[in-house]
Amino acid sequence: MAAPRVQNLLLETAGAAFGYDERPVVQGVDLRVERGQFLGIVGPNGSGKTTLFRGLLGLVRPLAGSVVRHTSRIGYVPQREVLDPIYPLTVREVVQMGAYGRLRGWRALAPADRELAGACLARVGLAGRERALFSSLSGGQRQRALIARALMVRPELLLLDEPTSGVDTRAVRQILTLLGELARTEGLAILLVSHQLAMLRAEVPEALWVSERTVTRGPASEMLSPEGIERCFTSEPEDRETAWT
Amino acid sequence: MDLSWTAILEVFWTALVGAVLAGIVCPLLGCFLLVRRTTFYGIALPQFATAGVAFGFAVMPWWIAHVGIGGLDLLRAMEDTHATMNYHLAWAGLFTFGGLAGLLFLGRSGGSEIARVAAAFAVANAATILAMGASPAGEIYLESILMGEIITIGRHELETLAVVLLGTLLSIVVFHRDLLVVSYDRESAVVLGKRVVAFEVLLLVLTGATISVGVMTVGLVLLFGLLVLPPLAARGLARSMLGFYFWAGGIGFLDVVLGIFVSFRLDLPLGPAVVAVSAVSLATAFWVARIARRKRPSQGIEL
Repeated sequence: MAAPRVQNLLLETAGAAFGYDERPVVQGVDLRVERGQFLGIVGPNGSGKTTLFRGLLGLVRPLAGSVVRHTSRIGYVPQREVLDPIYPLTVREVVQMGAYGRLRGWRALAPADRELAGACLARVGLAGRERALFSSLSGGQRQRALIARALMVRPELLLLDEPTSGVDTRAVRQILTLLGELARTEGLAILLVSHQLAMLRAEVPEALWVSERTVTRGPASEMLSPEGIERCFTSEPEDRETAWT
Repeated sequence: MDLSWTAILEVFWTALVGAVLAGIVCPLLGCFLLVRRTTFYGIALPQFATAGVAFGFAVMPWWIAHVGIGGLDLLRAMEDTHATMNYHLAWAGLFTFGGLAGLLFLGRSGGSEIARVAAAFAVANAATILAMGASPAGEIYLESILMGEIITIGRHELETLAVVLLGTLLSIVVFHRDLLVVSYDRESAVVLGKRVVAFEVLLLVLTGATISVGVMTVGLVLLFGLLVLPPLAARGLARSMLGFYFWAGGIGFLDVVLGIFVSFRLDLPLGPAVVAVSAVSLATAFWVARIARRKRPSQGIEL
């Protein structure tokens, strides 16, 4: 019997425009994200990185074009600053939230999901911290706990919003190494927004440069080199496309 | 008071059961108000409900003449505990949900939420006093609501309170995970496929219904106190979200039981006595949490 065909294409946009109040912030986005791809979304402040990210995630509807998500197993890691520390949540409670999409009403978490929570925490190096308060963790640990929560979804596509902001260099490297491993060994497609250009250049194979309402895709090693960044800032969007495609 | 505890239980059982129910359920609801940083709603909305009751009294003569309350005349309507309670409950609900809708609508234009809620409280407070002035007959009844004198609640009021509070309790038990994820991380809840708006509306309905009925039965003072003080005390002690719910419900229950004891021992109004005990509980909880924090300095949290 033939093995079931694995869907490699997980996310697809065609001529998509995203923005607010009918005003596009980014437009003409043609993008295909396949299993195992690891992309960094970069660009100047206010260029529309977050708008693009929210559009790909489905939190902002496209103003034009189409966005097709070929999987419902999407893991999302928000900026940890948006999570209010007033909630006395333990690390375990935060991670288990990733399974809430599978729960209906009063039903308790399945034993398999409890085991998965432990495995996800171990995967991000937080085994043994289950009972600690989430708000008491360091920035890097909180970020890893949120990645564990996203892994609880059993995702095929993982989207992370600035997972490297406000954490020290060592923690940034740990997070990016972990994400690289997840893409390589488990075939997750990963998109992350980040300002850490030098780190991304070393750890992420491909980048999406967002500026002047356009999105340009290219190899991170070239695009995020000093010359590449200068080219991104000084050239016209069409010239950028030619340079990296 | 010289009554024995058996006699007290026999005579005042409706008030005692009502207070204990409120002591468990209101703090649970207050947990969500606290973590969503909408605790001030727990103060402003009961004032809206009270304004609604006061307004109901002010328009009661006109209402009886033109619409009617169970075929009762004004004098009998003032004494009736069933039809009149439903009439006032409708006004309390209308003003509570109206106030809630107004606050949410105004909130869409941005600005300071605390300032909006404070302004709403001031307006509702003034409206209550003005409506009371227009209804001398209702003034005594309203004063008992404002003073938190719940000792006179009847069987119909208890039944109404029990239905609403047990409904709220059941909804929180069944949907606590959904309410939590929607409150804590709305965007992740959307990505997880949760019906975010439905759960936000559910929380608002539970808040509005509990406050409307609570004001009419256990009174303004007790409702204020139970929505705010036990959750605040529990937050300092809780080491998990589940623990937070249990601490809040447990502290609320103990506050009410101790408050009842103090009230009858010292012949004090029940509502304020419970709130006074809650205040002592809160101070104790802060003290205990402070000692615990010294042992675990990394667990500190700014409320």
